[in-house]
Amino acid sequence: MKGTKKGAALLGATLLLTSIVGCSSKSNEAGSSPSGSAGAASPSKAAEGAKLPPVTLKIILPGDRPADMDAVIKEAEKRMADTINVKLDLVFVPWSDLAQKTQVMLASGENVDLIFDAPWLHMEQMISAGYYEPLEDLLNQYGQDAVKVRSQQMFDANKFQGHIYALPMGNTHLAGRTYLVRKDLREKYGLPPIQSYDDLIKFAYKVKENEKGIVPLLAYGQAGQKDVSWGAFRAFMEYDPQILRSDALGQSLVLYYKNNDGKVYNLFDEMEPRVWSWIQDARKLYLDGLIHPDILALKDIDSVINSGKVGAAVYNEFGVPSSMSAAVAQNVPGAELEPVTFIQMEKGKNITNFKQANFQAIPKVSKNKERAMMFLNWTAQKDNYDLLAYGIEGKNYEKVGEDQYKQIGSNYSYFPYAWIWNPTTDRLNAGFDAETIKHYQFNKDADNLTPSILTGFSFDPGPVMNEISLYNATEDKYYNSIFDGVVDSDETWAKFKKEASANAKKIQNELQKQIDAFLASK
Amino acid sequence: MTLVREIVKNKYLYLLALPGLLFLIVFAYVPMAGHLIAFKRYRLADGIWGSQWVGFDNFKFFFMSSDWYKVTFNTIFLNGLFIVCGLGIALILAIFLNEIQQIVFKKIAQSFIFMPYFISWLVVSMMVFAFLNTTDGILNRTLEANGMDTQNWYLMPRVWPAILTVIYVWKFAGYYSIIFLAAITGISGEYYESARIDGATRFQQIIHITIPLIRNVLIVLALLGVGRIFYGDFGMIYGIVGDTAPLYPTTDVIDTYSYRALRQLGDFSKSSAVILYQSVMGLVTIVIFNYIAKKIDKDSGLF
Repeated sequence: MKGTKKGAALLGATLLLTSIVGCSSKSNEAGSSPSGSAGAASPSKAAEGAKLPPVTLKIILPGDRPADMDAVIKEAEKRMADTINVKLDLVFVPWSDLAQKTQVMLASGENVDLIFDAPWLHMEQMISAGYYEPLEDLLNQYGQDAVKVRSQQMFDANKFQGHIYALPMGNTHLAGRTYLVRKDLREKYGLPPIQSYDDLIKFAYKVKENEKGIVPLLAYGQAGQKDVSWGAFRAFMEYDPQILRSDALGQSLVLYYKNNDGKVYNLFDEMEPRVWSWIQDARKLYLDGLIHPDILALKDIDSVINSGKVGAAVYNEFGVPSSMSAAVAQNVPGAELEPVTFIQMEKGKNITNFKQANFQAIPKVSKNKERAMMFLNWTAQKDNYDLLAYGIEGKNYEKVGEDQYKQIGSNYSYFPYAWIWNPTTDRLNAGFDAETIKHYQFNKDADNLTPSILTGFSFDPGPVMNEISLYNATEDKYYNSIFDGVVDSDETWAKFKKEASANAKKIQNELQKQIDAFLASK
Repeated sequence: MTLVREIVKNKYLYLLALPGLLFLIVFAYVPMAGHLIAFKRYRLADGIWGSQWVGFDNFKFFFMSSDWYKVTFNTIFLNGLFIVCGLGIALILAIFLNEIQQIVFKKIAQSFIFMPYFISWLVVSMMVFAFLNTTDGILNRTLEANGMDTQNWYLMPRVWPAILTVIYVWKFAGYYSIIFLAAITGISGEYYESARIDGATRFQQIIHITIPLIRNVLIVLALLGVGRIFYGDFGMIYGIVGDTAPLYPTTDVIDTYSYRALRQLGDFSKSSAVILYQSVMGLVTIVIFNYIAKKIDKDSGLF
């Protein structure tokens, strides 16, 4: 019954909007083509005050619905009632089904107004299949605030095929990388705060000597997580030159960039001595029993960290997430995690292509494109952002100054990255240590980073599809075993090279060709 | 005309079959047309007919790799083990359950054996990890306590076909044994009675009455299993082994291999190509095995 009512409301809302658009003497089709929507001028005035008829937006988000979601929606709808008059129908799709479900939703033409997508999900495929609306005109007309809170670099770098097909979500311009270290153990051994990788390893050996039942080092080993294997993770924290992963093989270091020179390097052609030293170091650590013996079989790394049985683990953000420090403290009384990162905070030191990992797109089939953009614009205002990102003030969170917050309880879990994230209005977790907050603030400013020469470039895998799929299947067999040090480095690398180098070469050539064309057109 | 007469004559029987037939048409026959996209460069936006024909191009990614025969072998080998051990042990279980005289104990035993069937693969995978892991796995702890060396099971591919078979049997033997048990219950008591009068022991009754009389059920279940022998159980293998690379040599099946190769590309056509390969090979095997079954005993074929 509930479903029918909702459906009816949606239908009614759709009819109403259609009639409005009809009044402005523009047909629906015009609204769905990128050039045509510029003509639909009348609703833009409405956004500035006049009351619009209510419209329900169906928004697809990843993850689980927070317990207090309904209260937040109610408050948001109340605030929007007098201006853009949007009602929210949020559909949460579990992470495990996300790729498939969203793909089917789009393919079947389900009436969705905003949808989460990402390059690591299926963004490129969906764009080239023509499901998403280019956003330039909508942003110009209704999205001024949404534009203002994001840097120009963010928009320039996250174009696909020359268009902005989705609004980039990100609260920083450089992805954080951290080693989570058991602070209590470090202090127990009387070691000073960890400043370098060598310090970290020294700490790990101490853990090995003194604690039975604690694994000194933990990284990822499942084949889908190659960038966070122990050896490969170091690429994020070492400089001169910085070694960056390629656009063609996502997580792998086999093809890579360095020196910001627009060249694609290939480890099979010539082994980078630094990468080889990482591999050999990982091998030594594994043989010495420092790296988790089951590293390749572990599927849920977070729960192992949470159990408190790990000395130091790799982590994909700056800072210790509050859920983890709480869990560790609960499982092992007295235990405490501290973040250690060797990413430098020096202007221009880090090269980035400003690519973001999360996006919100407006599907072509949506009948409420203008309203969807108005909504995204609305979320860019500080108070509204606070509501949607952190929940009801006083109940779900407390403001700490202008740019930090403290979470209360766990009824409104954190998911702004999925639909509203931006570097300007985002608040930082006040539970973070001073150093972490400094890192976040430093990287919020795009000008603190050196733009990659390939900023704005995106790789079209079409011509080398077969090679990529063959290469991926081979790489999965060896890569993490090598970079986590589980197998003999020389022997396995030789095997890997023998099976994969032909395909890697073809991918490298194609990537280089596309990069050359991109640089030539710049 | 004879067809119409046949339908009119048995209209209630056909009516009874109608939902099942509709199900098969909608979910088994209509989707067959989708195999077409195995030969096209399918793009969602262009639709099935609008996409470009590419011949056998989509099969290349699979057959060009050096691994395709290895994963095909693994698929058949593992499924073969599952069919033989799964059905064999289910049969033994069913016979044992049938011999239990005390009703209450029989029911309880039956429920316990059946229970694992309801546990999802994800949970099973966690149980397996808790059992086998190196740091605090039950098995390694036990070995240690008995003064033996611990083993890193997740680095030993050769033991995994056995481990997976044990897990499969544990999960499915109860389910199949219920089917066998139903067939055994259908056997007339008179056979046993006359056998007892002739002085047959219980063991002889089992060998000469029970097993021959439920042979057909066994063969049907085996043939159904054989028909799917080219389909690796993705939920099971990926759930338990996941992306644990050292175990690929013995546990990588066609389904997991294609999943890994295609997961970043999300290519419908290439995955259809793999499915078509599996279906065609499955069809060939089932035809062959059905022929053999019929050769040995006329009545026991599926068709």
